[in-house]
Order: sequence, then structure tokens, then C-alpha cells
Amino acid sequence: MDVPIGELLRPASVEEALALLADHPGARPLAGGTDLVVQMRDGRRQIDALVDLGALGMCGTGETDGYLEIGAATTMEAIALDPRVAAGFPALAAAAAQVGAWPIQCRATLGGNLANASPAADTAPALLVAEAELLLASAAGRRRVSIDRFFRGPGRTVLAPDELILAVRLPLPRQGDGARTIERFVKVGPRQEQVIAVVSLASRAVLGADGAIAELRLALGSVAPTPVRARHAEAALAGRRPDAAARRAAAAALQLDIAPIDDVRAPARYRRIAAAVLLDRFLREVAGG
Amino acid sequence: MAEARVAVSLLLNGRQRTFAVPPGRRLLDLLREDAGLTGTKEGCGAGECGACVVLLDGRPVTSCLVLAASADGHEVVTVEGLGDGDELHPFQEALVAHGGVQCGFCTPGLVVTGAAIVARGAGPHEHARRLAGNLCRCTGYVKVLEALATAATGKHGDGAS
Repeated sequence: MDVPIGELLRPASVEEALALLADHPGARPLAGGTDLVVQMRDGRRQIDALVDLGALGMCGTGETDGYLEIGAATTMEAIALDPRVAAGFPALAAAAAQVGAWPIQCRATLGGNLANASPAADTAPALLVAEAELLLASAAGRRRVSIDRFFRGPGRTVLAPDELILAVRLPLPRQGDGARTIERFVKVGPRQEQVIAVVSLASRAVLGADGAIAELRLALGSVAPTPVRARHAEAALAGRRPDAAARRAAAAALQLDIAPIDDVRAPARYRRIAAAVLLDRFLREVAGG
Repeated sequence: MAEARVAVSLLLNGRQRTFAVPPGRRLLDLLREDAGLTGTKEGCGAGECGACVVLLDGRPVTSCLVLAASADGHEVVTVEGLGDGDELHPFQEALVAHGGVQCGFCTPGLVVTGAAIVARGAGPHEHARRLAGNLCRCTGYVKVLEALATAATGKHGDGAS
């Protein structure tokens, strides 16, 4: 059955796409379509016109002035296979490899995963941990927005209706002498593959030579109206060895960072427990490695 | 007023084809309704079951979530285009040999994803993960994965990635 749209606009350049979005207030950008087409089909979104971004490029990764820049139209498949992502941002590589199944990963884009603004978006916790910034553009100009200011609520972001995500910029990690970095992304769901996260956790720990946590970033999905940094849990662990007492303190502090709800996928109470378990597993790995 | 149409030109199973379709037409419907290629099936229509998987520029995609217009200027291979004349694709041969087909509804999608796995040279440890988006409610997956291992080994020696 055809998807109900009145008009499909197919710009050949970013500038043309931005002009079309400015001129058509009812138009929405279409990237991989793996979320948007389902929402239109189900009648959850009525859209007069789509601006197909498929011919604009915006794919691939490159390193510039201390950042890894990833084009917004880069697919999950490409991110999962990218050696630069794997080297510097293993949580993002792992998250990209868990967005839907392989045929979804071959279409779904990084920009789409963020613009769709699901609280469960797999790439979001990884980008929060990377302290990424988004390069946004409209016909009026360009701006940069930190990932921790981008999400406003389920399905809501700071993107203006005529604004596109052009790229995501990740500051390349610097590591001191003798330090060791462990970065992970894990999610819990009813099946091993192709699940929407019930809880997800991205984590990056930098350990000093003495085994204490020199730097820690934690971010979770599916436990709040937006993906969230877990700053209370980070503070509870700062400078400590991840021993049993520190892990208990972190589990308690983590509960202040999250605000899960009961929904079709899990009760809030389960999410609180599962979030603590995922963090505890990570900290045990950090302590044991 | 005539309904708006968009032109879609694509290389479909090796032949250059052009269609004029409504802007909201899905690639799945272009294939089945406009091109008459009914091997590709619609299961869930939401990108979760894999029955509609085709190759878009060599990569497996769920054609229920791809607008036909997004395939304009690209290459599409459906299950009908995988074999060589009367010769089945090695994964199709292996599915027959291992009994990896029961009702057959999921089979075209499985065949296309499996063919992409064989083409990629993905090792056996990758097979189940890459096939996880193709749901089968009859056979289970044991015989399908055995067939895939056979097809992959035939093409890539030890099957290692």
C-alpha cells in the first residue's frame, strides 16, 4: 500500500534541500526511512511533503582538528564497519551494530536515529558518552548543538522544522601515559538481536596507573523521556577504585539520574534494576581487567 | 486532476527499467505491482520480519520501508535475480539440500539476506546475527543456518571472514 504523502521533493544538493524545507512549511526530511515510513504508514504522522535526502551525500567519516566527523546520512552498517569509529568510539560502533537487524542497519542513518529522538535510540547514549556535537543547518545559517542539549522529549528535539542535521562531530579521545580506557555499549531486551532497548548503557572509563577511575562517562537509553547522562553515578565513582562499596554507591546514585516509566516493553521498576545491573557489570569488568 | 507521479529509473535484476509511480509508492509495491516480481513478499510491512528483503546497491534492505523514488538511479536485485538462468544461487541449492524450506513465505527474504552474507564472506560466527532480521515461523533456523554454512563454505573455502 502506498504511503500517504502528497509530494516527494528530491533535491540534488544540501543548499537546495534547505531552500525546499524553508519554502514548504509542511515538509519533513526523509533519510533512511526506517522510522519515518513506519510512522506514516501507521498514521502516527501525517506529512504533506517529504524532502528525500538520498542524493545529498553527507556520508562517511573524516578526521579534522581533533574531531571525528560523521556525515548525518552515514548508515549504521557503515558506522559499525568504520575503522576510525571502532578505534576511537567503540560504544558507537557497538550501538550501530545493534540498531534493528542488518537490513535496517543498511538503511538507517545516524542523523535519522537522532532526529527521530526515541528515548531508546541506540546511538544516543554512545554519543552522549563521546560528548559529541551536532552540526545543524537551515537556509538561515548553521549552528552547533551539544548532544546533551539536543533532545527535548520523546520524538522532540531542538531542530527547527526547516533544519537538517549535517554531521555529528566527536572529540577524539586523548589518553595520558599509563592510562587505560574501557568503553562499552550494552542493551537489555527480550531477544538477542533486533530489539528496541528496554535499558541501554554506554560507558567510558579511563583508569589511571593506580587502578582508580580517572575519568568516567555514563549515559543511558530508555530510562527517561530522553537519553540521559548519569552524572550522579559518575560523581559517585570519581577518583575511586570500582570496589564493592563504590559499586553500591554508584547503583544508588544512578537511581537519581533516571526516571523510567511503565510501558509495553517493561515496568519502571525493572528498568531501575536492570540499569543498575548493567552499570555493575561494567564496573566489575573495569575492576577485573 | 491526474494523480502526481514520480519517475523511477533503476537497474532491476540486470535490466534498466523506468516506472512512473505515486510519490508514496514503496519499493516493495513497485516490485510486486508495477514490475510483476511477486517473489518478494510483504509480511509485517514495518521492517521487522525480513520477508521483503531485496538488495539495494548490493546491500540487503527491507523494501517495505524504502520509497520507490529512493531507488531511482540505483541497482535492485530481487530473489528472481539471484540465480543464473535456470541455475539456482548456491544458497538456494543448499536450502533445498538441507530442507531449509517449509511454507516458503519467508524464503525469498532469507535467500536474499543469505546471498548477501555469502557475497560478503562473513564468517560462520556472523551468520545468525546477520540473518536475525529474517523471521521464520515454520522451520526454525537450524537447517537454514546449516544451508548458509554450506553455501558460504562453497564460495569461500573455510568460510572464515
